[in-house]
Amino acid sequence: MTLWFVRGLRRGVVTTRYPARPEESARYLPTPPAFRPRALTAGTADRLAASCPSGALRRADDVLVFDVGRCTACGRCAAEAPHAVTTSGAFELAATSRSVLVKTIPLRGETG
Amino acid sequence: MTSELITAASRAVPGGVTTFQVASPDLEAVVRDLHGLRLADMFASDGDTPTLRLVWANDADGPQSGYVITETSIENGEYPALSDIAPAAFVEECEIYEQFGIRPASGKPLNRIMLPPHTGPHNTGTQNTGTQNTGLPTLGHRPPSEPEEVRAPHTVAGQAFEFPFGPVRQVGVESLYYGLVTSGEEVVDLYLFTWHKHRGLEWRLAGMTPRQALFLVERAEGLSAVAMGWAFAAAVEAATGTRPPAAAQRTRAVALELERLYNHAAAMAALCQSTGLSVGQSAAEIALERLLRLNARAFGHRYLFGVVDAGGAGRAPDADAIRADLPGAYGEFRRAADALLSTNSFVDRLEATGILTADQAGALGLVGPVARATGRLGDARLMPDGPYAGTGIAVPTATAGDVLARFTVMLAEAAESVRLIGDFIDAGTVTGTGPGTGELRPGGGTGLGWAESPRGEALAWVALDDEGRITRARLRPASARNWRGFDDACRSQNVFTDIPIIEASFWLTAAGMAR
Repeated sequence: MTLWFVRGLRRGVVTTRYPARPEESARYLPTPPAFRPRALTAGTADRLAASCPSGALRRADDVLVFDVGRCTACGRCAAEAPHAVTTSGAFELAATSRSVLVKTIPLRGETG
Repeated sequence: MTSELITAASRAVPGGVTTFQVASPDLEAVVRDLHGLRLADMFASDGDTPTLRLVWANDADGPQSGYVITETSIENGEYPALSDIAPAAFVEECEIYEQFGIRPASGKPLNRIMLPPHTGPHNTGTQNTGTQNTGLPTLGHRPPSEPEEVRAPHTVAGQAFEFPFGPVRQVGVESLYYGLVTSGEEVVDLYLFTWHKHRGLEWRLAGMTPRQALFLVERAEGLSAVAMGWAFAAAVEAATGTRPPAAAQRTRAVALELERLYNHAAAMAALCQSTGLSVGQSAAEIALERLLRLNARAFGHRYLFGVVDAGGAGRAPDADAIRADLPGAYGEFRRAADALLSTNSFVDRLEATGILTADQAGALGLVGPVARATGRLGDARLMPDGPYAGTGIAVPTATAGDVLARFTVMLAEAAESVRLIGDFIDAGTVTGTGPGTGELRPGGGTGLGWAESPRGEALAWVALDDEGRITRARLRPASARNWRGFDDACRSQNVFTDIPIIEASFWLTAAGMAR
């Protein structure tokens, strides 16, 4: 056990009290999408909804409904319409109410 | 048709798959003859008459060189009792009965494997239509009666008692129930219930395009996302006659070896936890975290989802990040491993614990480090076609068959993975996504794919219609094979407290069964 005691002293503390500092590795994590409403048309929204494998996206009339609680950050929507979708970089997504996780994004892009 | 013909045919196509039609009356004789090969999988598909497929790997007496598939139409709802000849077939006999209603002709009792008993009354003799109260959907006709649920027959009497453990487990272990018969110290018997979290993945895949399906396939066993995705993509590519670019194949191989590294680090941490060595566990988990962060930096995902695409690669690795971070992360892994191997109290708990013999591993069709620790050489990376050809890959083996042998095999594999990753990056991986990283050819057909996951050989078989949509997909993660060896390992003169250690050394997932 002496071996492990010495190893522990030499290695020191590697954990931090969250969030002691911006986490460097966080910027490599997959994160949910962010949308550019001006580039979102009804047709684009329909394509995004069809590309989402977990049903996190659907169109309701003139809004895109985005359920963050169903998003797996797979990136398929961003690949489908890179002009309208980017990654948000946000990974602190916890909410105290389920409804807070459902966002509506207005469709402002011009059709045709 | 004789086994000599089949064996000769399989060897005539290095790295290939040879398929034979076998009439139902001849199936028993063929299985008896083929018993020198390893029964890698067995599954059915529906149609006017159900078709039974047996997949055999040619690795019994040397490096893996090919697969043989036999296809048999099942006319009267019964086929020969294959598990009487090849014990590796029993779990699949049970699964096929649940999913298709066909069974071994001997009338032998079959256990419940996949479908939970609490999902409502089951219709009998009719195919599920997805409507009303018919329980979970099945892939074919429902069985005429429920499984007999006998498990391994045992008598609980005298000093022995049955200890129910699970299905709710502590920490991150998934839903799994152990029926543990013990005298308080010695393990008399152990059986598993694996159906608590059945997800019907193979049923869900029907009708999808391969690219849609990959999303679910990667999640069949998340800790083998690359291996399972690669096996599935390779099956689709075989069905459509697609040949992925070499750079995309090397990209998959880099991800697969990173997957092996972080899984082996996680197994090492689990071994420390099971032996009560919390400082060692922390050391292993530091290595694990560094490897997961390397995955995220290199491929954009800690668990490497999205790397494999049908026809090629979906993500390009950051080769500079791997070159910069891998030596440090592996150094952390190696220092923890070296310290553990020089800790007598740790090594003593691993030695002579959970022993499996090479004969047991062969009879049960076990794969991966569990089989290689008994001296068997099976490794899907040795197939003579693909990115590993020409790398001079070393496949470590041991002979003791105990937990320590499995651990040392894992450590040697990790060292080899680091070397292979360097070689693949030097040879060139994909540098972007989109055109040039691989495209799937249109069309249909059937195909078998494989990859060597950290737990062993992962297999997938697909049938695509003319529009390229899936009509039947079979997923066989390594866990689906190796759980059947776990109870044997636990019964090999072990005590109650050895079970977590044996479980950590197998490093299997419940998800691999509950797919």
